[in-house]
Amino acid sequence: MVAALYIGQASWLTNLDPDRRQERPVRAKLAAVTELTELIERCKAGDGLAFREVFRNHRADVARLVLRMTGRPGDLEDLVQDVFLQVYRSIKDFRGQSRFSTWLYRVTVNVVLMQRRAAKSRPVLQEMPDEGVGNDARDLPDDQVARGRRVAAFYRLLDRLSDKKRAVFVLHELEGLSPAEVAKVVSAPVLTVRTRLFYARRELLEMLREEPALKVVAKEMMAEAGAGPLGETEST
Amino acid sequence: MNGEHEPEEALDRLVSELRAESAPKLDWQRLEARLMREPYAKPPSIRERVFRGLRVPAMVLVATGALALIVVRRRPVPARLGAAPSKSLMARVASGPLDGNKLALGTHVTAGNQNVVIEHAGRARWTLEPHATAVVANSGEDLTLRLESGALSAIVVPSSKPETFAVEAGNTRVAVHGTAFRVERSGERVLVQVSEGTVAVEPTQAHSDPSFLLRRDSRGNFGLDGRSGSIEGNASVILRDTRGQSRREIMPSDGARLPTPRLSSHSALGARAALNGARVGSAHTPSTLEKAAGQPPLQPCISDIENGVTSAIELLNGCFRGKTQSASNRVSVSTGMSLSVAPDGSVRTVTFSPPLGPTVEDCAVIGLRKLVFTRSIEGVSFTRILELTR
Repeated sequence: MVAALYIGQASWLTNLDPDRRQERPVRAKLAAVTELTELIERCKAGDGLAFREVFRNHRADVARLVLRMTGRPGDLEDLVQDVFLQVYRSIKDFRGQSRFSTWLYRVTVNVVLMQRRAAKSRPVLQEMPDEGVGNDARDLPDDQVARGRRVAAFYRLLDRLSDKKRAVFVLHELEGLSPAEVAKVVSAPVLTVRTRLFYARRELLEMLREEPALKVVAKEMMAEAGAGPLGETEST
Repeated sequence: MNGEHEPEEALDRLVSELRAESAPKLDWQRLEARLMREPYAKPPSIRERVFRGLRVPAMVLVATGALALIVVRRRPVPARLGAAPSKSLMARVASGPLDGNKLALGTHVTAGNQNVVIEHAGRARWTLEPHATAVVANSGEDLTLRLESGALSAIVVPSSKPETFAVEAGNTRVAVHGTAFRVERSGERVLVQVSEGTVAVEPTQAHSDPSFLLRRDSRGNFGLDGRSGSIEGNASVILRDTRGQSRREIMPSDGARLPTPRLSSHSALGARAALNGARVGSAHTPSTLEKAAGQPPLQPCISDIENGVTSAIELLNGCFRGKTQSASNRVSVSTGMSLSVAPDGSVRTVTFSPPLGPTVEDCAVIGLRKLVFTRSIEGVSFTRILELTR
């Protein structure tokens, strides 16, 4: 009985401790949110230093999303610049009704889509991603070369999706946003987002089945996966 | 392995590989330098630099076009809408009020050398004063304009729904309930002058801070944060408790006590400012409005100007009908009438562009000189596009 009481007390104590431990991250999160809010307010007031801070804090996320949306490293710098110029111009319109990151995603997606629409009306210099990888291939191990080729092939695949489907696929599958968050970014109902996701995935699968070059990529991957975690899962 | 599932597994692996890719490396320092060099103007991008070679011929073409335009019509620049106004819009601005319902969300409207009048049929009519810029921040049921620079005045049709029209300057929101008022953004200050009805001034974001209520013939001088400022005339400060729920109104003249400890420090500052007409905030400088306490208004109020304009139009129409010779044909003339009103309220100068016939102008000038506006410190100059018919 005493032991039981002791154990009960100990478990109560251990239950309490995690709560106490959680206070710190919650406080840190609150502090970060407050800091970001202040930064945004300063940006709205035209504080260049605050804008620079926002740029430094979010540039990597923006660049990653832009690259995933376009698959064109050549346009990356221009587009990242365009995104932050747009942020500078319209940060006054940010009312804090959504998270800043969601708003930033929306700005980024809009800038990329606008650039793509504009690009359709003018000739585009086709990038040769395979060639680029080939040039570096001398210094890279074989698996990295293969991986680079696969990534380039996948970008080409994504490029064949419509703008709307590609946007939701990238935001959900690659950026890890929930359909509800994606809905806020693309200003569409959640159900529409889910439908677009379904069809995007189905089209990608059809492309993988029908495209000879991609079939090779798929086979390569599956061959590699035979010894990897995927193969192990299948064998069990 | 099932062959049918191969593409799905391949897709999943491709997705996970792409997810695992690290963020792309860019020359961040260079990009930051480009961004920070001139944040308001877009720095030249790589793509633009490629086309730089085409700039000289393009400039020659633009210059030729501009010269041709100047030669064809030597008239003051009416307004600029957005980055590249279409010809039809320019023409419509010059010939009368612009249809506000056709202004899309985010449209920048910049007045040239003359007022730009924009009318939202049955709702509001606003006038952007020369060289002022406003952006349509909400074009829906609740019309909201963001005043970037300069001044605008508005006449809003009273509505059962409150705050159907608002002007934002910085973080200060000036929302109206059917009224005539003028908002001027002067550096870090927002000057509000109310001629009719009621105007609420508050921060654009939260409603937990003090609001100011300005009624007819009152004026206020506020910071861009919408929280601090001073008011004069028939105005009051609304104090809310820290939960933003209970409200208390303090009039500058009723000798109310200072806010209770339940009220926030912002409320206390706002209340003191309202009660004493004193300065709030370190960045505040005495405004022309404050200097003008106890004197005539800085400029005649909007309703007075509009009444004068109505009289002028009637007068001009009378002159036009009486002095033009055409018995049977319908004649229509469009002209810009510029009036300059002296501080004593008398009409100082009047010009018509394009000019009217000498007999019509003589008749109009004689009649217009008899018009008397309200006395003011600075007087006022304005231009109206008139359509005269007989």
